[in-house]
Amino acid sequence: MYVDQDLCRKCADCLPICPVGAFEIRNKKIVINYDSCVECGVCLRSGICTEGAIKQVDEIPYPRIIRAAFSDPLHHHESTEVLGRGTEEMKTNDVKDEFTEGNVGFSLELGRPGVATKLSELDKVTREVISLGGEFATYNPVLSLMENPDTGALKSEVLGERVLSAIAEFIVPRERAMDVLGELVTFINHSVDTVVTVSLIARNDENGGHSLLDDLKKLGQELGFNPYPNGKVNVGMALVR
Amino acid sequence: MTHTLDRIGLSENHSGEEIVILCMVHYKHKEEKSEEIQEIARTVLKYKPNNFIGFPLSIPEEYLLPMAAQAGIVTAVFTDMSSITSLVRELREKALGISVVLSGLFSDVRKICDETGLTEHTTHYTAGVFGKTDELPDHLTLEITTQCGHALVSSHYVSNIVKKIRKGMLTSEEGAELLAKPCVCGIVNKKRTAEILAKMAQL
Ligand code: SF4
Ligand code: SF4
Repeated sequence: MYVDQDLCRKCADCLPICPVGAFEIRNKKIVINYDSCVECGVCLRSGICTEGAIKQVDEIPYPRIIRAAFSDPLHHHESTEVLGRGTEEMKTNDVKDEFTEGNVGFSLELGRPGVATKLSELDKVTREVISLGGEFATYNPVLSLMENPDTGALKSEVLGERVLSAIAEFIVPRERAMDVLGELVTFINHSVDTVVTVSLIARNDENGGHSLLDDLKKLGQELGFNPYPNGKVNVGMALVR
Repeated sequence: MTHTLDRIGLSENHSGEEIVILCMVHYKHKEEKSEEIQEIARTVLKYKPNNFIGFPLSIPEEYLLPMAAQAGIVTAVFTDMSSITSLVRELREKALGISVVLSGLFSDVRKICDETGLTEHTTHYTAGVFGKTDELPDHLTLEITTQCGHALVSSHYVSNIVKKIRKGMLTSEEGAELLAKPCVCGIVNKKRTAEILAKMAQL
């Protein structure tokens, strides 16, 4: 994204709209910081600039295009078949049965909320996940960035790219889930240079019970975090006949 | 759309404050379920949600149906338990074979399940935010910005709008409409956002 200086009347209305603060005043001009911009498209879609001075290039080159793929929900992610950087994960689990009783799905969202991340931070996390025995979900767009799925290393040319968020999604056996979570929390707090929202997916028991939430609360007391009282629940509607 | 579970500030003290509904067709079934997802879109609109997919982009309601068929998704926010419960009951009676995800307090989702004869199948829990948390804005700002699952609502924009409310240039409701716009999935709860803005403007 860039500001067309011939059209810009320097009103500064666009400055606050960017979720990563990429608009800047430089040499008395309003410009978009090319390194900071994650190509989320918010400024353009918002229509905030009545002069039409906010513009997108005809084609964002590779590897920069990865910024749009991971930051703009209207950019089609070829690897996931759904719009945006999210995936179906548990949303359609009553149809596809991917998260089964013996497993727990992990979702580590780097950069969220609102801080953004370089993919070099994701590279640290994917390597750690592999070393802890996590198995990456086949639908996870992050897989398409991996150079070596055995080590979790990402392609070197993408490491400098900055995105609004990137989600590492993987599966761990239920009995190891709390140990892995404990290790990851320590790793993230000490080694990752952004924020990470950590969430877990589990099948409910036949009465709709939440045994994982009890385990999370227990671990939270030890490590000093409070699992949220709210979350996302697939209510098995697709199975209703 | 994706991380509706990471919304900050919901509490058992405000039961029923908001429930986000997301209906999604598994991508392999998109073509065969085109009619059904459009029926869902029609039914969701009938219950008058606080916000819904496409609304922030000013997409007219009549385009919501073809858009739902194309994307395989319908999302909306409800701010009262009776509408969302009736909607879920009607969707259950229609048995359209499409996944429905409810996002809100676990206790509220349990109430809806109890009243509609459904059972929680799979749950997505948030442990918290870790790492460089000192880079986060204040809690009230986060209560607004985390409503967008794609983190497209800027914390700077929240501050800018609060300033305008203080100066009398905007009402809290107008501010909430502006802040709901970047969230293309239409899941920002405008009612709750207006209340938070009013609180922030008093500080
Ligand atoms: S809103 Fe448009 S005209 Fe105003 S400063 Fe931004 S780019 Fe320039
Ligand atoms: S595309 Fe997104 S990140 Fe880039 S300047 Fe616009 S709002 Fe900011």
